[in-house]
Amino acid sequence: MSDLRKPAPDAAKERTRDLREVNERLKELVASLRTEKDRLGAEPHPAIPPAPGATSVPETLDLEKKRLATELALAREAVAHAQEERERLRERLAELEAEHRRICDDYVAAQEKSTDLAQLYVALERLHGGATRADTLAAIQEIVVNLVGSEELAVFERRDGALSLVHAFGVPPRALDRLGLEQDAIGRAAATGRLFVANGTPAAPGEEDLTAVIPLRVGDSVAGVIAIFRLLGHKPVLDDSDHAVFDLLSAHAGLALRLRDPRGPAAAG
Amino acid sequence: MDRKKILLVDDSSTVLLMERMILSKSPYDLVTAKDGQEGVEKALAERPDLILMDVVMPRMDGYEACRRLREQDDTKAIPVIMVTTRGELQSVETGYASGCTDYVTKPINGLELLAKVKSCLGQ
Repeated sequence: MSDLRKPAPDAAKERTRDLREVNERLKELVASLRTEKDRLGAEPHPAIPPAPGATSVPETLDLEKKRLATELALAREAVAHAQEERERLRERLAELEAEHRRICDDYVAAQEKSTDLAQLYVALERLHGGATRADTLAAIQEIVVNLVGSEELAVFERRDGALSLVHAFGVPPRALDRLGLEQDAIGRAAATGRLFVANGTPAAPGEEDLTAVIPLRVGDSVAGVIAIFRLLGHKPVLDDSDHAVFDLLSAHAGLALRLRDPRGPAAAG
Repeated sequence: MDRKKILLVDDSSTVLLMERMILSKSPYDLVTAKDGQEGVEKALAERPDLILMDVVMPRMDGYEACRRLREQDDTKAIPVIMVTTRGELQSVETGYASGCTDYVTKPINGLELLAKVKSCLGQ
């Protein structure tokens, strides 16, 4: 009878070989696990899963991002609104500036008109305010000097079919003592009753200094003329207000002189 | 605000009336004199805040009147605007040399006069 507890020699060798193989495989497995462990140790650790009910980091970031996006949108809206408001204010400012300019222009125009009216009032007051012909002639001179702006003038009256010099200022009276009607611009203004204004072009040779000739009307007739020669240096040209003064002188100066004629108005006419 | 007093000095009634017409639109008390000498006397008596002074006048011209005003303590600080028909540089320089503050030329421009009056009065 054989001993069953003793393994057969072949079977023992086979078992030993199997165990060695298993041992070898286990060694490889341990080495493989070590390598994997080292690799994983070198990699960043994965995020720890949040506890149930708590907000995760990505969610917080998301919420912050959304909040900032909302704020940005609101800020953009506010900027757009502010730009619109700025545009509106700019337009309003431009309107106000235009209005301001218009008011300034109106003020200047009103002041100029006021000065023009004051000139006419002063001229009228001076022409009719004097008691004598000398007063009236002095008033004519002052009006021409101070309101028109010339220190060279002569006043003529029609007498016996000619023009007689009755007053001169700033010009030699001898040369103008007596002029014929129709003779040069002064005579023609007396003959026709039309205002002469040189406007930069002299009427004829020898009349280079003549600026204007104002007929002095009394009713339908022309009683004389005022000749205005050179204007003051700082006054280059005549303007509308000067023409208004000329019209007033034409309508009132002759009459004022006639009314103060020592021979009486009827005799003078 | 105190009403300002302005002394108008000119031998021409036309100019005085014109200045009155222009300045009467503003709240000023206006005093007049017919020549430089009377102007100096009125300036001492009335102590105006401003003087408008013609240049060519009988008895005493505007330059001399201005010099006299500058010599006296009571009037030396009063601003004087020369009103002249002669706009040439020489005339203006003479005006400044005599002590005037500013000048306007005749024919008077209402707007210019008002502006210079207000400027001299610090308004």
